[in-house]
Amino acid sequence: MANNQSSSTASSEEWVRILSNDGFSYLVKRKVATASGTLKNMLSTESNFAEAASNTCPMSERGIIVEKLCEYLTFKTLYEKVPPKEDIPDFMERLAPEIALELLMAADYYDGVWFLHTSRPDQVDRRSWI
Amino acid sequence: MSRRNNVRGPTSALTEFLRESGITPTTIARRARTREVPQPVAGPSNSGQDAEEENAEEDGDAEQNNNEGYSSDKLDEDEDEQPAPKKRKLSKAAEAKLKAKEKEKAKGKAKAKGKGKKGDDDDYEDDSDGEDAYTALSKMWKDSAKPPVGSFEDCARCKKKFTVTKYTLAANPPPGFLCHVCAKASGADPFKKPAAPRKRKLPGDKRTVVHFEERRFPSLASICIQLITRHIDDVEALGDIGGLNMDEISKSLARNRSLTQENVQLFYDAVNPKLTLYDATGLTPPAYGTLALLNPGLTHLRLDFCGRMDCTVMEAWSTALPNLKHLELLGPFLVRVPAWLNFIKAHRKLEGFLITQSPRFDLECMKALADNCQNLTELRLKEIGLMSDEFLEQVQRFENLEHLDISYPGKPDALSEPALIDLMAAVCGGLTHLDLSNNLNISDGFLLQGINPYAKNLSTLILSNTPDLTDAGVAEFFDNWGTIIPPKRSKKAAQAADANPPLMELDLSRNHELSSKALEALLKHSGQTLTQLSINGWRTVSQDALKLVAKRCEELTRLDIGWCREVDDWIVQDLMEKCEKMRDLKRNVAIQGIAVM
Repeated sequence: MANNQSSSTASSEEWVRILSNDGFSYLVKRKVATASGTLKNMLSTESNFAEAASNTCPMSERGIIVEKLCEYLTFKTLYEKVPPKEDIPDFMERLAPEIALELLMAADYYDGVWFLHTSRPDQVDRRSWI
Repeated sequence: MSRRNNVRGPTSALTEFLRESGITPTTIARRARTREVPQPVAGPSNSGQDAEEENAEEDGDAEQNNNEGYSSDKLDEDEDEQPAPKKRKLSKAAEAKLKAKEKEKAKGKAKAKGKGKKGDDDDYEDDSDGEDAYTALSKMWKDSAKPPVGSFEDCARCKKKFTVTKYTLAANPPPGFLCHVCAKASGADPFKKPAAPRKRKLPGDKRTVVHFEERRFPSLASICIQLITRHIDDVEALGDIGGLNMDEISKSLARNRSLTQENVQLFYDAVNPKLTLYDATGLTPPAYGTLALLNPGLTHLRLDFCGRMDCTVMEAWSTALPNLKHLELLGPFLVRVPAWLNFIKAHRKLEGFLITQSPRFDLECMKALADNCQNLTELRLKEIGLMSDEFLEQVQRFENLEHLDISYPGKPDALSEPALIDLMAAVCGGLTHLDLSNNLNISDGFLLQGINPYAKNLSTLILSNTPDLTDAGVAEFFDNWGTIIPPKRSKKAAQAADANPPLMELDLSRNHELSSKALEALLKHSGQTLTQLSINGWRTVSQDALKLVAKRCEELTRLDIGWCREVDDWIVQDLMEKCEKMRDLKRNVAIQGIAVM
């Protein structure tokens, strides 16, 4: 588990840490974490967020929720691009109904597609002299 | 089918019959051609004669053909005709042998044979020419009038003599042919390849309906919703996560557009006082009945997108929901007048009646509401198709109104300014929230005579898209607010002599005439307290005035400065630095100042 701290070269294979609010931490590949739009923005090297600098995302969710979320993101990166003919296993079997409501709220926040307004090259100059 | 050597193989009974009755391809072609040319009106008997004559002629031809056709000497010479009978035999044999397997194919063939030369269009994939499929001539005979290639012909247009080629086109309108030059000049392309032969659909294909399935990767939220729906009857399995979160879950179900009559039960509770469904599209009329029965304690009910709610629902609710005080519906357009009347009469305790989009809510309903629900404090009649001045007379009868929304009437100019001023004189004293957007008759006079003298508690004012407002008029209104003494006829207004407190929310968007003076005046009046401000579409407002927004409005949380042309990075930067509570800033896309956010 090579925790590569040189965040300037953000390769999709390096590991990032996701923390739950009750002290569990999960290590996932960057490309897995960036399957979530929210985490992608948090970890974006263009932003100045602390998450991006430390490669660590704290989530205000319980451990079990974060675990399932990471599990889903792994599942998503693995199967999202497969050709239509191939069978995708049913993720629902891996979820317990007890956490469904809580997970739904977390999913609503983390699994959405959020776009950070990224600056175009012509804007970068402009920002530098503001 | 030109038979140069007049040799014929065995033919079917139908062909034989047609030949005997003198119907040949040539006669068919000729008949069709005569039909294309408009017939002179006077000629029914004549034309009949003509046809007969023609037939007679053809009969003669046919006879000749027949005579020649059966001359047995030449039987062996014909090469062209051989394949046809062979095929036929083959198909017969196949039919006999592979009856079960080839049944469909054979049927198809038989069908094709039966329909034969008329070219029934059912069997083809496209039907590009606009001719009647039944009377149209087979393509084969279309060009039979064309002189043989190599012969000379006079051009129909330029009258020059030219050689007929494969590419020669018929003149349009019909009689004659065109030379190459004229054909090109007429816009037609002589070298255009004939349309690809129409493909016969396989009988099997004809029945298969083509459909596409778009497979999307399931989002975690949708998986969770499915799981919840599956376990909806087992409440303990889902656990209790509290009222606040229930609202969040209601929102995320709405966002995923997946609220159904099964999983809506998650939000039902006998002692529940408040229920909000943000997207009730999935609920059918019986489901609304169930909603009322399973939530007897409801006092506040809000249903967005309740388009499938109909009269039966309102009738059912008339006898249910005894404690209902606050009803908010978006899109109850199927509910008719009698159902509204019943519901209103049954719920005299209503304090909030907020409906949006109803083409059927009429004056009678409005009267019933005013007669029965005197305690109403909140009234929203937004996008009501039948809205008129008479409605306003009824609205005046509510004495305790605090929240009034009569925006977007069915006809934008349905409400006249004098009627609105009268309404303000009656109810404006108690109002805290007023929305009269998209009433096109509102002008400066309404502000000065309607709101200025009577408003005493107003904190929210929404006048979006009232384009008659002028810059000077709005500036004068804010400068003099509270200084104009109301006319004596209104007792209530005369009692409360104190001025209206500054506004908290102001929306004057899409009023293109408004500009710097209005903005400066309104900031002077309400700038300190404003939390929400929309000046969307004030295109000429100056930079100096815009800078005042950041200076004066410290409390701003939402600001819409879209389509204000003078806004630039510096203004936005100023706003972000000085308004610390800002949460939502809408600006024109062209502004690149988002960088400072």
